[in-house]
Amino acid sequence: MNEMIRSEPGDLDALPDDAFRAHVRAWVQASCPPELRHPPKRLHWSETKPWYMALAKQGWLAPGWPREHGGLGLSPAKQIIFIEEIERHGAPRTNDMGVTMIGPLLIRYGTDAQRERFLPRILAGEDIWCQGYSEPNAGSDLASLRTEAVLEGDHYVVNGSKIWTTLADDANWIFLLVRTDRAAKKQDGISFLLAPMDSPGIIVRPIVTLDRHDEFCEVFFDNVHVPAGNLVGEPNKGWSMAKALLGFERIFLGSPKQSTYALAKLAQVAEHMGVADDPVFADRFTRLRMDLDDLKALYETQVAKLRRGEELGPDVSMLKVWQSELYQRIAETAFEIAGEEGVMLNPIGGNRALNPAAAFIQSRVVSIYGGSNEIQRNIIAKNVLGLPG
Amino acid sequence: MTAPDAMGVADDRADGIRLLRDSAAAIVPRGGPLGRIRALRDTEAGFDRAVLGEMGAFGWLGLRVADEAGGVGLGMAELCALAEEMGHGLAPEPLVAVAAIAAPLVPEEDVIAGVRVLLPAWAERPHTLDPAGTTMAAIDGATLRVTGRKIAIPMAAGADGFLVTAREGDALSVVIVENGAPGVTLTVEATVDGGHMGTLTLEAARCVRVAEDAGPRIARLLDEAAVATAAELVGVMDRAFALTLDYLGTRQQFGKPIGSFQVLQHRAADLKIQIELSRAAVGHAAAVCDASAPAAQRSAAVSLAKARASDAAMLVTRQAIHLHGGIGYTDEADIGLFLRRAMVLAASCGTAAAHRRRYAAAAPPLDLDA
Ligand SMILES: Cc1cc2nc3c(=O)[nH]c(=O)nc-3n(C[C@H](O)[C@H](O)[C@H](O)COP(=O)(O)OP(=O)(O)OC[C@H]3O[C@@H](n4cnc5c(N)ncnc54)[C@H](O)[C@@H]3O)c2cc1C
Repeated sequence: MNEMIRSEPGDLDALPDDAFRAHVRAWVQASCPPELRHPPKRLHWSETKPWYMALAKQGWLAPGWPREHGGLGLSPAKQIIFIEEIERHGAPRTNDMGVTMIGPLLIRYGTDAQRERFLPRILAGEDIWCQGYSEPNAGSDLASLRTEAVLEGDHYVVNGSKIWTTLADDANWIFLLVRTDRAAKKQDGISFLLAPMDSPGIIVRPIVTLDRHDEFCEVFFDNVHVPAGNLVGEPNKGWSMAKALLGFERIFLGSPKQSTYALAKLAQVAEHMGVADDPVFADRFTRLRMDLDDLKALYETQVAKLRRGEELGPDVSMLKVWQSELYQRIAETAFEIAGEEGVMLNPIGGNRALNPAAAFIQSRVVSIYGGSNEIQRNIIAKNVLGLPG
Repeated sequence: MTAPDAMGVADDRADGIRLLRDSAAAIVPRGGPLGRIRALRDTEAGFDRAVLGEMGAFGWLGLRVADEAGGVGLGMAELCALAEEMGHGLAPEPLVAVAAIAAPLVPEEDVIAGVRVLLPAWAERPHTLDPAGTTMAAIDGATLRVTGRKIAIPMAAGADGFLVTAREGDALSVVIVENGAPGVTLTVEATVDGGHMGTLTLEAARCVRVAEDAGPRIARLLDEAAVATAAELVGVMDRAFALTLDYLGTRQQFGKPIGSFQVLQHRAADLKIQIELSRAAVGHAAAVCDASAPAAQRSAAVSLAKARASDAAMLVTRQAIHLHGGIGYTDEADIGLFLRRAMVLAASCGTAAAHRRRYAAAAPPLDLDA
């Protein structure tokens, strides 16, 4: 399996950083379909599949996975360069939950049988995963989740519902946090379970987002039978396993990429509106730009930790707060300067870069997902600052 | 809730305003469902002419037209109260444009009845409050013709004609052009709230003059439309806030209503302050208009109200989305409709930036003793 999808010759990790960066850059430029660059919204599998498969063919889908599992086994420093180059190019986010979440989880906590079964299928683009954590009544307070899995012989029977499941309608597998012990303290009764989306009893309802796009879904479970062998790790240990994966999400959400691109678009809107040289605008723009430069510096301190092979601490939450709110301020500024032109549904003059209204509406989401900004501030207050309560 | 219009308004007048607000419930029931508003999104006209006709039948469109001329002869306090109710219910009908501008300029029975829809077309570029651009009207033989380009005309596709501000010599006139007549080209672009804005291109289009040498009068009517739009924004933010308060009180996380978290309580308190600042500014501006104050004083008061209401409505509706969490980022939750309408109204009748600029020019010198 791995031979088939691996065409990258030589030992990339042995290349000097600059040569590695140039190599990745050239390949990404040649391989990412241009029409997919900087998408204005989250794209579906039908759109991103060519890019996913290009990465898969090259053997570059999972730069961080160990080589024995089909990854590139890159050092943290190289992984960062790799991600930077993908982001710099504006390559779209793919249906990457398999690569970024369930894969690493199985590598760390799964059985050999689970790894052999699932990892190659992720690398080949045969299995598309979605993340079933949040529930209608368990969002910020995720540990209060109530979707229940009851062991009956050799399978679990799952009942309940998940919501805000990104691209669930593209997925053929879902990884779930489920309650397996109602009596235990809430974090202690949660297990990690893998279910095929075509299981009888699963119903997916797409939800239209605020920007009138279909991006997430509600997933209902009505007596869904899941083989007991699809439980990852030990029963009732799902919470700590899931938490161990969150560091990735927080640094990803703190990446300066989103604000960098938004700032470039703001400059274009300003140019179009004829205010680029207006001193009032110039001051606002410069402030945002300096805020972005500081974000990059702060981000670099976290990245340096990764490079040294250290674990990220709770202070990574600062990145998510600053980046998301900076991004929102940039989007608000573009909306404001566009004035009467900034309320149009479609891009100004058909130029995809000039769509301040849509960008503004989409920017509303970043303070909500990935742990809302209030939750991030709670983490900073309690776990970084040690404040009481 | 106390009637906020009571500010600076005599008791009997406050009673009248209360009755007017109650009567608004016939079309926009307080806290009523928004199915009608959703159904009108992305339709060609963007609003329901039959509902505009009902508004006419209630006398709302002729509210600012004198009794003798077939109207109701009420003031800006009344129009603002009504506009706020429309904002509450997100009614897309161009009540403000017709009642504040079209009917006073053309106080004819079919206009006041909402049967013939005339919409003002005055702006020629973004971020302006200036109705005098480069559009010109001139006599050609026996006919008056107008040439120019007007932008940002809300709900233009639903209009029968446009009230175009145009230079005639050194003075500013208002002329009517018919939608679809030769030389009149309307293009429309969808706006985020499901409505649209039109751009009107006029090439020697036949027109009828309804006001000449009317610069000061046009400025007053545009000011009045701007205050009424600010009042509409107060309605939008007030209802968005009410929905959010309700959510803060009922949504449970960590075993308690999220409204019990102090950070969210403070956030809500801050939003409440913005809403009341806006309401007070609108009440003041309406009173200044009703007192027929000098133009500079009126402009300053109006710009204060529109700038405040635009910014506050954006802040309140943005936060309303955030405080709803995931459900706030869906189209099925009504809260998003308020953000989208606030965006469009904030850019109508002058953006906050344009109003701040004018305020700086029109406000009297800072008087520390006052
Ligand atoms: C676009 C998008 C994609 C998503 N994708 C996925 C996915 O693929 N899989 C998945 O499982 N989930 C997903 N989510 C869900 C996301 O993780 C939740 O929306 C998030 O955790 C917030 O939960 P909630 O929506 O229930 O809001 P709530 O928790 O109800 O929060 C409502 C408001 O209360 C505030 N609040 C809550 N608790 C506190 C507190 N203690 N102190 C102060 N304020 C508080 C919040 O900050 C928020 O403003 C997605 C969400 C979005 C918007």
